[in-house]
Amino acid sequence: MTATNETQSVGQDAARNSEVSGAEIRLEGVVKRYAGQKTPAVDSLSLTIPAGEIVMLVGPSGCGKTTSLKMINRLIEPTSGAISIDGKDVRKQGHDELRRHVGYVIQGGSLFPHMTVEKNIAIVPKLLGWDASRISDRVDDLLDLVGLDPAKYRKRYPRELSGGQQQRVGVARGLAADPPVLLMDEPFGAVDPITRQRLQDELLSIQRELRKTIVCVTHDIDEAIKLGDRIVILQEGAHVAQYDTPENILAAPADDFVSDFVGSGSTLKQLSLARVNEIDLADWTTAAVGDSAAEAIRKAQTVGHDAVVVLDNRGRPVAWPWLRQLRNEDRIPSYDPEKLHTLDSRATLNDALDTMLTSSHGGAVVTGDRDQYLGVIDFTSVTDHMRTLEQQAAAATDGQARG
Amino acid sequence: MWQFITDRSDQIVYNTLQHANLVIQAVALATVIAVALAVLITRVPRLSGLANALSAIGLTIPSFALVGLLLPLAGIGATTAFIAVTFYAVLPILRNAVVGLQGVDKTLLESSRGLGMSELTSLWRVRLPLAWPVILAGVRTSMQMSMGIAAIAAYVLGPGLGGYIFTGLAQIGGANAVNYAVVGTVGIVIVALLADLLLLLLGRLTISKGIRA
Amino acid sequence: MLVLPPVLVGLVFAGFVVWRQTADLDSVESSQLAWPTIWRLILQHVELTFVAALLVVALAVPLGIALTRGQLRRAAPLVVGIANGGQAAPAVGLVVLLALWLDFGFWTAVLALVLYGILPVLRNTITGLQGVDPTLVEAGRGMGMSAASVLLRIELPLAVPVIMAGVRTALVLLVGTASLATFIGAGGLGEMITTGISLFRFSLMVSGALLIALLALLIEWLGRLLELLTRPKGI
Repeated sequence: MTATNETQSVGQDAARNSEVSGAEIRLEGVVKRYAGQKTPAVDSLSLTIPAGEIVMLVGPSGCGKTTSLKMINRLIEPTSGAISIDGKDVRKQGHDELRRHVGYVIQGGSLFPHMTVEKNIAIVPKLLGWDASRISDRVDDLLDLVGLDPAKYRKRYPRELSGGQQQRVGVARGLAADPPVLLMDEPFGAVDPITRQRLQDELLSIQRELRKTIVCVTHDIDEAIKLGDRIVILQEGAHVAQYDTPENILAAPADDFVSDFVGSGSTLKQLSLARVNEIDLADWTTAAVGDSAAEAIRKAQTVGHDAVVVLDNRGRPVAWPWLRQLRNEDRIPSYDPEKLHTLDSRATLNDALDTMLTSSHGGAVVTGDRDQYLGVIDFTSVTDHMRTLEQQAAAATDGQARG
Repeated sequence: MWQFITDRSDQIVYNTLQHANLVIQAVALATVIAVALAVLITRVPRLSGLANALSAIGLTIPSFALVGLLLPLAGIGATTAFIAVTFYAVLPILRNAVVGLQGVDKTLLESSRGLGMSELTSLWRVRLPLAWPVILAGVRTSMQMSMGIAAIAAYVLGPGLGGYIFTGLAQIGGANAVNYAVVGTVGIVIVALLADLLLLLLGRLTISKGIRA
Repeated sequence: MLVLPPVLVGLVFAGFVVWRQTADLDSVESSQLAWPTIWRLILQHVELTFVAALLVVALAVPLGIALTRGQLRRAAPLVVGIANGGQAAPAVGLVVLLALWLDFGFWTAVLALVLYGILPVLRNTITGLQGVDPTLVEAGRGMGMSAASVLLRIELPLAVPVIMAGVRTALVLLVGTASLATFIGAGGLGEMITTGISLFRFSLMVSGALLIALLALLIEWLGRLLELLTRPKGI
């Protein structure tokens, strides 16, 4: 696959739930031994990461998860063993060439402070020799993908962005040349919990659209459960303690190490498996920025709503003001979207509860791909769903105990 | 005084330009040498102790002594002046360039590798731009110092305004002795201030807005 | 690092002595490089350097202290700014202008050296005193110490390392600038170079240059030694 036809497939605003664009990664008997250390940091790791899935590498610190990740793009050279992407041995390619086709995102985004957002994102396309107009289109497309308004953010420098925004640009930079594989090293470690949840939601939304193969290192089991299609739990020396879907790991931990690591309260953790999109969303009165405020109030009052969801010109929710806040306005004003805490439809019910508890509406606005407005989720629908889940979980454990 | 200056304005302008020319060329060459050395030093950590010791010794040796040492090799005139000025100009820039390059965040370097930049691209697009403000501060120090050293080098007939100072000295008791010395000294101060302004401007133009203080 | 410099200086100087005793010198060279002449020039150079250094400390430290007290505090940036700007003046111009204005000779040279060497000590005295943790000063006052005894027993001892770093910088500046004293008839090792140039004898130029360099390295080393010795224990 060449860089050119890769990008064409994505450059065109690919259909929702597009085909898998990722590639399979295969590690076979990979060993990393550092000079002067008795035990290898990574001791014979074999792993197949299916194309188009998010696989989380999780484990205690020093277990070799980051080393394993960095061997995939040869930031660390394996001592022995074989690693292939899409069937091609990574050592057969020059390491710079390889890395230009493997996205890499690390904690905090690691943006170059002397380059604008645009320049940061354009690095790899430039290295690959794309022409200027194609790069420029790509930057717009990516900023839009990660939920940043290109007109507003292109020319900003990293220090003019919040931590979460920097991290978003970091993801955009990793995806710039449309690599089939994205490697992420503790990507959301440096931001506050609310921002982290939002970034996680966005990653899920991006993945729904792009279907890359994403390998992500984290030390946070909750993050692994939320993001991973599969989770690799690693022990010291990068020994695989269990490699399975989050559901199976929670339901049937392979051994004591795994159950200790996953932690107690795993029925509560089941809540992390349930997603917002399993619940029927309520419709809510919406209005666009610049619409007549009086008209919006009238519309809301006829259906008995006491607030209006305001959408921007791209159909993204930016605020959820009470009607009384709109009465003094002539037109619906524009709002800072950062202040509205939305939920992605792939967010977990845990996240949903968190969000609703901090909202004065007793509910939350739910978004889909590219932050498009989907509907509103309220407290009772979540608690109802939780109750059914608990009953199901109880039934399942009973079944297991008997079986 | 004013009469003295207007009578010789052509000559004074010429010597001022010569002074600026000598120093700016020497500092430009010194910047290239110092940055190249600093890149080498930051790649081979064992060299950094040696480089520190040598530049400390270099800065301790008085410039007049270096001029004396250079005379048998480079003779009287512009060559000795140029070598002496360049030698001292390297030292502050080298020190700053090493500090600047070593100060670049390691995770940014790993990022640049992770994105597939070659060593050279990473140096050119990441390390040097990030170290540039510190390097440029070294260039400013260096430029100020070089102005005075060029004046001393005029004793061995180096070009520039320093010659007026020694002419003043030679004509002691003469009507124009003080005029010569003042024109030389003040002229150098003015050239130094202008050169510093120029470097500030260069900083505005070349330091990325994203890292400007 | 503290043993090496004097050993190296000693070795090179020994080499110079051997060369001086064995080299085939013409009559001009041997008269200019007679040992009494060499010693006289070295002594003059050292004298210029140390007299100027003592004056610099005697002037700059009290001035620095004054500029961190009371109303004068606000003048500190201005004074440092002026001193900084003065640094842009070429040393040789300063030396010559003072000589034309006053007179040739030792004390004019010393005055030029003092003007040139005062900045680092003044600047470091001010930063050193400003750098003292204000809670310590408050603690001193709280124990009933007078302002003077807080200064003498708390602030100055804590600022000494920074001040001494300035003194070392000044020493290096002074020993270098002292080689320009020859232009105004104040002697020093610069004289060996100027004589070498006017008589066109490379042996004189190189000997002068070498001896100045050795003296400078030795004095820099002394400065570092002084810095270590005056450092209060526990810092």
